[in-house]
Amino acid sequence: MLQKLGHECGEYLAEIGSTDPSLWVLDGDLADSDGAEAFANIHPDRFISAGVAEQAMVSIAAGMAACGCRPWAFSFASFLCYRAYDQIRVSVSQTKLPVTLVGAYAGGCGGRNGKTHLALNDIAVMATLPNIQIWAPADRNDVRLAVELILQEAGPVYIRLPRLAQPALPGPAEPIRWIGQPSSIAMVAYGASTQWAIRAQELLHQQGIEIGILHFLRVWPISITDITKFFANVTYALVVEDHYPMGGLADLLRHTGHSGPIEAAGWPPFWAGQSGSDLDVLGFAKLRSSDLASRIIRIQDGLMIKERPFNISEAHS
Amino acid sequence: MDVNRRFSEDARAVRVAIVDALFRAGGGHYGGAMSVTDILLALYRGIVCQGGDLNRHNRDRVILSKGHAAIALYAVLKHLGLLPNMDLGRYGAFGGCLEGHPDMTATPGVDFSSGSLGQGIAAGLGMAFACRRKSHIWVIVGDGECQEGQVWETALIAARYSVSNLHVIIDNNDAQEVGWSYDPRLEQRPLVNIEAKWQSFGWATMTVDGHNYDSLLNAYHWAQTSDLPSVIIAKTTKGKGLSSMERDPVKFHCTTLSQEEHQLLLGELDAAEIGA
Repeated sequence: MLQKLGHECGEYLAEIGSTDPSLWVLDGDLADSDGAEAFANIHPDRFISAGVAEQAMVSIAAGMAACGCRPWAFSFASFLCYRAYDQIRVSVSQTKLPVTLVGAYAGGCGGRNGKTHLALNDIAVMATLPNIQIWAPADRNDVRLAVELILQEAGPVYIRLPRLAQPALPGPAEPIRWIGQPSSIAMVAYGASTQWAIRAQELLHQQGIEIGILHFLRVWPISITDITKFFANVTYALVVEDHYPMGGLADLLRHTGHSGPIEAAGWPPFWAGQSGSDLDVLGFAKLRSSDLASRIIRIQDGLMIKERPFNISEAHS
Repeated sequence: MDVNRRFSEDARAVRVAIVDALFRAGGGHYGGAMSVTDILLALYRGIVCQGGDLNRHNRDRVILSKGHAAIALYAVLKHLGLLPNMDLGRYGAFGGCLEGHPDMTATPGVDFSSGSLGQGIAAGLGMAFACRRKSHIWVIVGDGECQEGQVWETALIAARYSVSNLHVIIDNNDAQEVGWSYDPRLEQRPLVNIEAKWQSFGWATMTVDGHNYDSLLNAYHWAQTSDLPSVIIAKTTKGKGLSSMERDPVKFHCTTLSQEEHQLLLGELDAAEIGA
């Protein structure tokens, strides 16, 4: 049975924690929603509930890391990144301590919870702090690979996870990979938006249009080597973001040196979020798979029009 | 030479070093550095350095959460031989290894970074959890700092988990940067009913003279045996040891002095009774 990615994370940490005594998990009174309970149930002696106190939780985690522990602090992405931003800045980013911050319920699909519980610019605020890696798993295998690779790192990490359980992506997990054949017009995605892109890919396939998805498991940092390698034959990138367009993956790609045509399909910048089913809010934001597929077709048509020589008779038809 | 007299000589020497350093550095937080000096000196001299090898994993740890008094921490560490080659006059200088607020990535002997008030107690609580109660963790905060909500978030958690190896020392100098002097109808002190507040959060409390070595040592020993997380309310004077500073805590919260003002301070230190 599919379970929320937060629970996949907590479960895998519990598995690893059986042989790694340095692993601790902290939580801000959301353990049953964000997945920390999966660790707490197995290793109660290495679980700390801070209660509804995200700032204290982050600083506690930093203090533990300063004494040789590997703390993983769980909450909703919104409360973790925004409520405790100064603590992340001062006690984690500036100290470079090995604290891993797990932000569940990231993105715009918050269900009934609504706007206060959404994280629509968490990548922007976290990527602009030095020393913090950002990971955005899209399925169970992504979570497990992310956990393994993060534990090999020595510094701060932020993981953002979608609210709901996610089906398995095709193929084995890697930090960056193509889903489907590489294509010159490509979708680029991470986390839940990769799942949206996969359904759009299927819709396009039914119309005889083959579009590859460049899936990012680690969103930040990005190396120019990876951009050169993966975008070599991409003439147009539609970056599908479970995030505002500003400060998301498209911006990070541009910042790192991607110079090809690139546009972001994300949550409307004027929208603070609202309650609703995933279909409702995605429909409002034109991020449904059918919307993404239509957007790809328009991009394709637009590029084909630009390639045709100007013909007066066609212009007046 | 009895221990108390030696401490007062140490306390004077550290204050001279602070005044000298801040003048050469172009200014700084004089008042708060002076009020916390004896707390730090007694803690390091009487407790932390008595515990054995300071490089061992389960040594005591100290967090100066009121990080703007960093020069006091650096001066105490240097006076006790823990920063032997450090030039205190490079305080706040680019590349000088003595950041304006304590930086654990820049200065040996600094157990945790600080500068954004209110965060040190939680970091200390994390250390207390991590070392599984085998070390004592000492966090020094200001009374103004206790206006930060995170202080009380952390107090709740520490009490819930009965973290008895976590000890907070409040530099209770009854002053902060600006305060409420613009409206005398309002309570002027940063924090009132301090013992009652912390006790209501489940902490053990003791109030002592924050400039008396014996009182401070006694409090530290009491804290080490407490079953609850403990807070020592150290009654201090902002600018302690310099009469002009004690008379004008607002000016000396953070300031730059002229050569003449600097010389006056040095003269006052010569005449002062310190650490009695």
